[in-house]
Amino acid sequence: MFRYLLRRLYLFLATSLVMVGVLFYTTGLFPVERSFALTGIHAPTANQLVQIEQDYKLNDNQAWQFFAYLQQRLSGNLGVSVTSNQSVAEELSAVLPASFELAIMAAIIAIGLGVPLGVLASQSQHKLTQNTIMAITLTGYSVPVFWLGLYLSLWFGVDLGWLPISGQLNLLYEIKPITGFMLIDILLSESEYSMSAFKDALLHIVLPATTLAVLPFTVVVRSTRSAMMNVMNQTFIRAAEARGMHTSTIILRHALPNALIPVLKHLGLMLGSFASYAIVVEMIFSWPGVGSWLVSGIYQRDYTVIQGGILAVALLIIFLSILIEVLHTVFNPLSRKDLYAAS
Amino acid sequence: MPLLDVRNLTIELDTPHGRVRALEKVSLTLNAGEIHGLVGESGSGRSLLARAILGIPGPNWTITADRMMWDGNNLMTMSSKERRNLMGSDMAMIFQDPSGSLDPAQTVGSQLMQAMPKNPKAYFWQRRKQAQLTAQKWLHKVGIKDPKKVMASYAWELSEGECQKVMIAMAVANQPRLLIADEPTNSMELSTQAQIFRLLSQLNQLQNVSILIISHELETLAQWCDHLSVLYSGQVMESGPTEELIATPYHPYTKALLDNMPDYSGIKAHKAIMPTLPGSAPALQHLPIGCRLGPRCPEAQKKCVNQPSLSHLKNRYFACHFPYHGETTNDDPTA
Amino acid sequence: MPPVKIYQEDQIASPMMRVWQNFSANPFALAGLWTIAFLLLLTLFGPMIAPFPPEAQDPRALLLPPSWDPSGTVAHFLGTDDLGRDIFSRLLHDAHLTFGMALLIVITALVTGFIIGSLSGMMRGLKSSILGHLLDALLSIPSLLMAILVVAVMGPGLENVFWAVGIALTPQFVRSIHQSVHEELQKEYVTAARLDGANSLQIFWYVIMPNVWEVVIIQTTLAISAAILDIAALGFLSLGAQAPSPEWGAMVAQGIDNLLTAPWTVTIPGLAILFSVLAINLVGDGLRSALAPIRN
Repeated sequence: MFRYLLRRLYLFLATSLVMVGVLFYTTGLFPVERSFALTGIHAPTANQLVQIEQDYKLNDNQAWQFFAYLQQRLSGNLGVSVTSNQSVAEELSAVLPASFELAIMAAIIAIGLGVPLGVLASQSQHKLTQNTIMAITLTGYSVPVFWLGLYLSLWFGVDLGWLPISGQLNLLYEIKPITGFMLIDILLSESEYSMSAFKDALLHIVLPATTLAVLPFTVVVRSTRSAMMNVMNQTFIRAAEARGMHTSTIILRHALPNALIPVLKHLGLMLGSFASYAIVVEMIFSWPGVGSWLVSGIYQRDYTVIQGGILAVALLIIFLSILIEVLHTVFNPLSRKDLYAAS
Repeated sequence: MPLLDVRNLTIELDTPHGRVRALEKVSLTLNAGEIHGLVGESGSGRSLLARAILGIPGPNWTITADRMMWDGNNLMTMSSKERRNLMGSDMAMIFQDPSGSLDPAQTVGSQLMQAMPKNPKAYFWQRRKQAQLTAQKWLHKVGIKDPKKVMASYAWELSEGECQKVMIAMAVANQPRLLIADEPTNSMELSTQAQIFRLLSQLNQLQNVSILIISHELETLAQWCDHLSVLYSGQVMESGPTEELIATPYHPYTKALLDNMPDYSGIKAHKAIMPTLPGSAPALQHLPIGCRLGPRCPEAQKKCVNQPSLSHLKNRYFACHFPYHGETTNDDPTA
Repeated sequence: MPPVKIYQEDQIASPMMRVWQNFSANPFALAGLWTIAFLLLLTLFGPMIAPFPPEAQDPRALLLPPSWDPSGTVAHFLGTDDLGRDIFSRLLHDAHLTFGMALLIVITALVTGFIIGSLSGMMRGLKSSILGHLLDALLSIPSLLMAILVVAVMGPGLENVFWAVGIALTPQFVRSIHQSVHEELQKEYVTAARLDGANSLQIFWYVIMPNVWEVVIIQTTLAISAAILDIAALGFLSLGAQAPSPEWGAMVAQGIDNLLTAPWTVTIPGLAILFSVLAINLVGDGLRSALAPIRN
């Protein structure tokens, strides 16, 4: 087991290194001055130029430059944003928690609604229920997310007026950012309007989280359904039935833990599209997260922002996918058998 | 009064090829405290019969029977809830694939403890400890040397024999009256097989559990069972006490099964042909009408297109128009 | 005339016939297949059918609703947008932009991915592991981020969408082909073929390929739907097709300003995207369930 974890760690480091290498290569391709692309300082003074050349080893060959680049980025120097003249690292740490909040909410909605619906789809004998659920998931899988977002905001935000359609919190509330997570910050703040601010923040997060949750919801429903159908045919379920256990107990205790393992794997495969959709959703609902920051960066050709954003998101995805793979192996008893038998 | 009395059970399956009668007019009588063996080739519908008795039918089954009595209660009129209760307390079943019968995601011990009977008088916090002790006791009874180690391991870490013993422990812990064993020793070596069968007959004698063993090996069942029923392609061919059945088989199929067993005592001629029935068991789509052994039977004649009803002679039952040692029997029209 | 059947025979169809029979037994999958054929026709002949050129602005017919609305006309079948351009014509002109581009990208990614994937699947050792790491790294950059990177390097435009989405999709092909080739290599019939004396190329072509192509087909349908959605999303963000282009995503972006007064400028291109992706997903689903029982 330990060797397995070590191998996964090595995989994480190797892939991240390759990622940084790819980014480094593309910074060379940007149609601007090299030093500008690396640091974001538009018209450096002579001193700054010397400093930059030293930091990034601009006069040495490519390999040294790559190491210098790696060193700079790892030490937290992501450059300065052209548009706001602030450190990219600071801006990044301000927008990351908002994206996390959105992603976690969407994941909760998707899994919380998806797993029961998937179990229902696998257990129900009516053709109609099954076909309806499959039709809904297929449509959800095919809808372009930006169109869905626009429509939801049109219906719920404008026509019905129930939910606000942009931003994270009504501008009237002033909440001090402690952790960066809006909901937690509201609970932590001592303002006397905290309860209504909390409700307002919840209302704000509903639409973007729901739009983002559609894709993982469909994936969860489908893979839960197929995993449950596979598991329920197996001998140990039949044996548990023969012992007189009720079907609901069997599903909760025996079938679901075994069925959720392939669902986890499918979720891990879906991370890339999830991130893409998150960016689009943030744009539509003006959610102050990494996605909209990155897209406004590309609109304004802010190269340091682009590098910083892509680095952060890609590293996160690599980390999360390896984490999911490790969790999958930990919980999957059959892979443990392979591990022990192999090692 | 027999413990289990099944008369003319018919199971029809809805397959893409149409409705097939997988089991046709099967009758089975099991008395309390006996070991009953159900012999049949694979595909003869033995597992269907076991599941129908237990009460876990498949989704496309249609079950009809003249009688299905359990200890005087009619199984067919019971609600599914009552059937479920019966399943856990009075009837138990062990399956063919013992390591597949255990949840791979949980330890064997936790599943075993879940299956132990609950002591209603025990306090809440004592239940777990008591279940653990009971589980260890039962593991010891079924012959497992190191109960603690077995309970802490997972299903794939144990051998088939150990898994089957665990399944037997889980099945017998609730003191059932009937234990149905569906090919319990299919995947084991002979020594483990002998252990399992010895365990089953011990349970039969000590705990007074009636056992219904389903298998395809006639010689093993002949050794351990009191009564035998021979099933072929969904129809009962013959049924009766073991010694009489083996000594004087009435049905051609039983005789063919007995002839199939190689005789190691005498010397066989070089390249002598082993005696078997020609052909093979029919597929579900192409079932013969009447007696399903008809196309292969050495005694078959034109009368065999009508299915013979189960005749009763002393304590032997057989379904044949032209049985061996056949005094003309009184065809019991109500049987 | 077919011979009269006297005996009850069971005709066992070949695997490919069986797949087709299973597939056509599913009405939705067939509907999806017809829609895709229709879309292909549109891609090829769309610009010739369209009544108006995509850029033609009719200042008298601004924001006309579609023809089923009382104030619409049949001449502008699906209405016009805020510059007076006919939406129906723009949809037709764009079919080859979104759909055709998606097909082109996927075919290129498929061929490239197939070559790389099968080479790396048949290889073992350090080279394949390095390639694997490179692909994992590329795989973890979502297509949108890859597009942003490409746009940052090369500037926006539809051709760059080709590169962006192509580079984002190829690793998925490579990864799935690599995995399935690797899995096939563990099977015993490959060892049997090797013992028979087949060299690597023969093993690949005769033994592994027939078992891998179904994975390839399913991956292709997934990739086409992902490509269409990505091209549309990039058009929506103005990172791909630029403003006056009739690309479906860009049309949605252009229609946002009039979302409240003229929702059809947003609905109709969105519905077009939805239907094409739905059709492909239906076909993909149908294929998957048609192939599934055989795989077992």
